[in-house]
Amino acid sequence: MRIALTLAALTLAALTLAAPARAQVPDAIKDKVAVCATCHGETGNNDNPQYPVLAGQTARYLYTELQDFKAGRRHDPNMDVVVQPLSRDDMLALADYFSKQKQTPSTFKADPAKAQAGQKKADETLCTMCHLGGFIGQNEIPRVAGQHYEYIKKQLSDFKARRRTNDAGNMTSVASTLSDTDIENLAQYITSLY
Amino acid sequence: MHMRSKWLGTVAFAVSAFAGAASAQEIAGAAGTTSSKAMPSFASVTQAMLEGAGADAKNWIHPNGNYAQTRYYPGNQINAGNVAKLKPAFVFQTAVTESMETAPIVQNGVMFLTTSFNHVYAIDAATGEEYWHYKHKMGPITTFCCGPNNKGVAVSGDRLYMGTLDAKLVALDAKTGKLLWEQQIADPEKGYSETMAPAVVDGKVLIGTNGGEYGIRGFVKAFDANDGHVLWTFDTIPEKGHEGVWATKDATGRDMHRDIDAEKAALAKDSSFYQTLGGGVWMTPAVDTKTKTVIFVVGNPSPDLYGAIRPGDNLYTDSMVAVDLNTGAYKWHSQYIAHDVWDLDATSPVILTQANNGSGKMVDVAIHGGKTGHVYVNDRATGKLIRFSEAMIPQENMWTLPTKDGARMLPGANGGVEWSPMALNPKLRMVYAANLHQPMTYHVEEVPYPGGKLWLGGAFKTIPSEQQWGQLVAVNIDTGKVVWKVKTPQPLIGGTLATAGDVVFNGEGNGWFKAFDARTGKELWKFNVGAGANSPAVSYMVNGKQYVAVSAGGNTQLDFKRGNSLVVFALP
Repeated sequence: MRIALTLAALTLAALTLAAPARAQVPDAIKDKVAVCATCHGETGNNDNPQYPVLAGQTARYLYTELQDFKAGRRHDPNMDVVVQPLSRDDMLALADYFSKQKQTPSTFKADPAKAQAGQKKADETLCTMCHLGGFIGQNEIPRVAGQHYEYIKKQLSDFKARRRTNDAGNMTSVASTLSDTDIENLAQYITSLY
Repeated sequence: MHMRSKWLGTVAFAVSAFAGAASAQEIAGAAGTTSSKAMPSFASVTQAMLEGAGADAKNWIHPNGNYAQTRYYPGNQINAGNVAKLKPAFVFQTAVTESMETAPIVQNGVMFLTTSFNHVYAIDAATGEEYWHYKHKMGPITTFCCGPNNKGVAVSGDRLYMGTLDAKLVALDAKTGKLLWEQQIADPEKGYSETMAPAVVDGKVLIGTNGGEYGIRGFVKAFDANDGHVLWTFDTIPEKGHEGVWATKDATGRDMHRDIDAEKAALAKDSSFYQTLGGGVWMTPAVDTKTKTVIFVVGNPSPDLYGAIRPGDNLYTDSMVAVDLNTGAYKWHSQYIAHDVWDLDATSPVILTQANNGSGKMVDVAIHGGKTGHVYVNDRATGKLIRFSEAMIPQENMWTLPTKDGARMLPGANGGVEWSPMALNPKLRMVYAANLHQPMTYHVEEVPYPGGKLWLGGAFKTIPSEQQWGQLVAVNIDTGKVVWKVKTPQPLIGGTLATAGDVVFNGEGNGWFKAFDARTGKELWKFNVGAGANSPAVSYMVNGKQYVAVSAGGNTQLDFKRGNSLVVFALP
């Protein structure tokens, strides 16, 4: 029994070492994190490009998006449902939890020429005035560095087509003059940033 | 920006990514004060010292030098004849690698400087040795558009005062760095935040607010310096009368292409938008201690580019405003751009001095360097605009209205003169202004108030085929003529320092910190500080020796290379 416990402790220690930046899930939101984890992963890292990486995202952005889903300003078949029981404090706690997780570097293999064209377009468009240098995000402006390639492409396309409109007009305006090639290049560049 | 080489871009990214990791720690890490070494003594700053700062070559106790905000250092040990020999005396490195906009305060050999994310350091102003380091405990919600900046502390008595990103005012013990009290200024969830250095006068701490990009209702507030309770609030957006006089021309007489009939009809339907009309006050106000008047400029209306939702002149946005120091009561205003839809607002701090009133008489004036590229000279008694200078940078197609697909107009939305403080050499009758040239297209997007989110009502985009640059410009305040100008490879942001040694100091995004002959603009000296020198320099003396200090932390807004250092220079 004692040996088993020690082994378990060692295994736990090894796991902890393997994921050193993983914060403890606060008891108050354990059940709620479990729901998020189904798609986004327990640490907010996942391999399915349909679900954005939440690890390392700015807390304010996560909180804002949760509020928007609940208020109907942003729509997604899954999110529309799961946010309904969340209180403001739940949202703040979830945002805080996922923002403190370490983002796993993207395994996406960027096309260097496309990524370079994306960087040029990003400079022209003054993306980093809001998203900060390296696209690390600030406040309610998301970190997009290292986000899933397909997800970035979808968001930019949705902004352009006004399928997503909870951006206070900033991204719809920015995206309105982006071509499909620009969007592809930007996604190549931004995904490769982490 | 667009002319940056790939290599430079990569370096910038690496630095930023590192800064991001550090920043997360800075916010999440333990707040409080760490003492490194006991400060031997601290000489209390009296009201008399604050009022006499303009003639005090030993100390630098206002962010802009004095209540008149001239940024004119009265000593001349370092002068146009010997500045070429200037050498670094010490470098102080902070724990935060992110943009620095701090104007250090120096009192009796002790320097107080701030960093992004509201850290404060007290150091020996002659050696750089650290006394203490204070980290503000940041609340869960912050909102700020242009970087986690801080422009410095104010000092009075034995206390320091700082505004924070989560919209609080904190008071610290200057000797120990211990927090004495903090007061919530406004709700950060609605877009309020603080990056400006406050001013302290007659026991009042004066502070404005950021948030013109978030649909706030701006203000300047006075807090009791003793316990932090609110003494008065001046709302920069009046509940009644914000529609103004329906001006069809800007202050320089150019047609703004407004559809006044449509605006009037819209106002008749709804005038409740005053609550989200913007009007931030970004920089430290000037104080006329003789007439007990606080004078400041008010920033852009919200949303920046989409005007149809906010009919009228949008008073007091894009204006210089004077209020009573004791009550906050309105005295006068002078609007530069009515119903602004270009974000060419008023941010650079007001300077108080005297100038020719146009009829050969010297009168008290208040001066502002605009994002339009003009220096405006207003009569200090009435607010009346006496003159505006020649344009300091190219202006084209003014005032072309923004369109959905983008309309080109110069200057671009960053200016002209951004928040960068100007400096005045009263002897030479010149102000020195750091200008940007960033050709842009202006795009409008119809968007209702989004509840505390960044609300531009469109976008500004640079034009890739057009070069960007900066220009340091000297303007004669009695005539409005440009006396000299020096073009720089990058847009300028950070501000200038003038000295009685007839030197002008100015920093650039590529790290060059330079000294110029105040009369001619001739470059006399330069030193590369290794990261963007995008903050206003200060000067002071310790043990009879003059120092010049500038922080090198780069800039978020223009994405100049980040750093974490304060570099201090002296003659060998």
